Amino acid sequence: MARLRLSPEEERQFVLQLGRIVAYIDQLKDYPTTAVAGLGQGSPEAEDRVAPCLPRAFFLANAPATFDEFLLVPQVKGGDDG
Amino acid sequence: MAELHELTAEQIAGAVTRGEASAVDVAQACLARIRRVDPSISAYLLVREADALDEAAELDRRRAAGEVLGPLAGVPVALKDNLSLSGGQVSCGSRVLEGYVSPYTATAVQRLIDAGAVMLGKTNLDEFAMGSSCENSAFHPTQNPWDLGMVPGGSSGGSAAAVAAATVPLALGSDTGGSVRQPAALCGVVGMKPTYGRVSRYGLVAFGSSLDQIGSLTRSVRDTALALGIMAGVDSRDTTSAAQPVDDYLDGIEAGIIGLRIGVVKEVHAEGLAADVQASWQSTLGTLRSLGAELVEVSIPNLRAAIAVYYVLANCEASANLARFDGVRYGHRAKDARDLRDLYLDSRSEGFGPEVKRRIMLGTFALSSGYYEAYYGRARGALEGLREQFAAAFRAVDVIATPTSPTGAFALGERVDDPLTMYLSDIFTVPANLVGLPGIAVPSGMDARALPLSLQLLGRPFGERTILRAARAFEAAVAWSAAPSFRGAPASVGGA
Repeated sequence: MARLRLSPEEERQFVLQLGRIVAYIDQLKDYPTTAVAGLGQGSPEAEDRVAPCLPRAFFLANAPATFDEFLLVPQVKGGDDG
Repeated sequence: MAELHELTAEQIAGAVTRGEASAVDVAQACLARIRRVDPSISAYLLVREADALDEAAELDRRRAAGEVLGPLAGVPVALKDNLSLSGGQVSCGSRVLEGYVSPYTATAVQRLIDAGAVMLGKTNLDEFAMGSSCENSAFHPTQNPWDLGMVPGGSSGGSAAAVAAATVPLALGSDTGGSVRQPAALCGVVGMKPTYGRVSRYGLVAFGSSLDQIGSLTRSVRDTALALGIMAGVDSRDTTSAAQPVDDYLDGIEAGIIGLRIGVVKEVHAEGLAADVQASWQSTLGTLRSLGAELVEVSIPNLRAAIAVYYVLANCEASANLARFDGVRYGHRAKDARDLRDLYLDSRSEGFGPEVKRRIMLGTFALSSGYYEAYYGRARGALEGLREQFAAAFRAVDVIATPTSPTGAFALGERVDDPLTMYLSDIFTVPANLVGLPGIAVPSGMDARALPLSLQLLGRPFGERTILRAARAFEAAVAWSAAPSFRGAPASVGGA
């Protein structure tokens, strides 16, 4: 889910650090839970209107690899299971 | 007579408007100051020397042609490098955004430019604004101008150091859990986080979208009020920006606080403040009382839970917001990836630093099936409790006071391998983000090491005028601007 690849050293360090942090967060068990009214500080829906968007050339100028007017990526699926 | 780089934004705008100084003179003075002190404090990631001088010259031409300039005429401003300025970098202090050029300008920044401000440069930050020391920048740490062995706080540490060292009178930061107020506290400057929705977030790279607000760092409460009045207001590009009318924040700011009811949170004492911090805190409360305020004890029982709530909710939002950095549309792309999955994994793993990785993992963990209720659900529940407790407190008082940070600046490297201790630096600042309240940090005194301490004042939603008035009264009483604050810093910087 996090889409991260960790080195063995990172894995050792993170297990230790995240273990302490999660143990700290577990104190939330001790607090009475109050009914949650909604999903937080909701915002009004934006008005639906037509407006110019970022020109394609601006957008593509930041892309690491492009082909004509498209973003270029490696093959989507690996060889054998593709 | 103070030098140009030492003036407040209000003084600079006045001098430029009256023709007593040119915008170019002011920009040159601040650029010279940066050249002199920044090699020692490393507050900047980019200095726009040529562009800033061109823009200042254009302002001078407009004034000479008879045009009336705005309320920030010729005021040099530094921007935290997670705020977009068209045609320039927005690194977020991360390798993952190396080479990215912003195609647009943040609304808050554009409003400052329209008011006559000159953007001098981009400042250092903890990567993606995640940190409390500015040490998580992928590029370099920033040093505290008060003591070069100390951190400036974070994540807006570069902006705080830049203002404290008098390289600019005004800098912008972003505050998701205290990232404007805590570095302001550690660097002895004024820092404000407005009410959620008061300032448009358009053009601020998202971290925790329900918590993020753009705020300012200045050397005077009046400058904070001036900047807020210009930045605030609804923006069609950010649907969470509020339609609430914008107050004139300078109007009545000198009125004092006789009769103002200030809540003192009793749970602050449970946080084990060191003796020198405790003594300074008592003296701060004495000053507020001597100004005519009525101090009232209030209780926020969920204060202790705020850090845990914050590190669940903020990281859940961050893990979703940072999913967009995948090496496809912009930023760092890993070389030689065999397929798309490898491209995502390698680009992100190479591009993000350790703190960002920790937070993405915590966020995805808390949102994952089987843990969602135990973490996200419980955090939301405790947040509702916190919200109700603040609402109850604000029925009894007008403003709530706490220390901004439980300690003064800590040493570079001291907390780098201990993220939990680092997180606890934010105990007094995160509630304002969780509940959406405005908060201001104003210098209050010194700790035993002669490093700055700070008072935080929290207000009701959209109660910025009240906390600015209280902060101004307190600032005048402690006479901080006359203290050897930023004037002292350059000498200790060693004449670089």
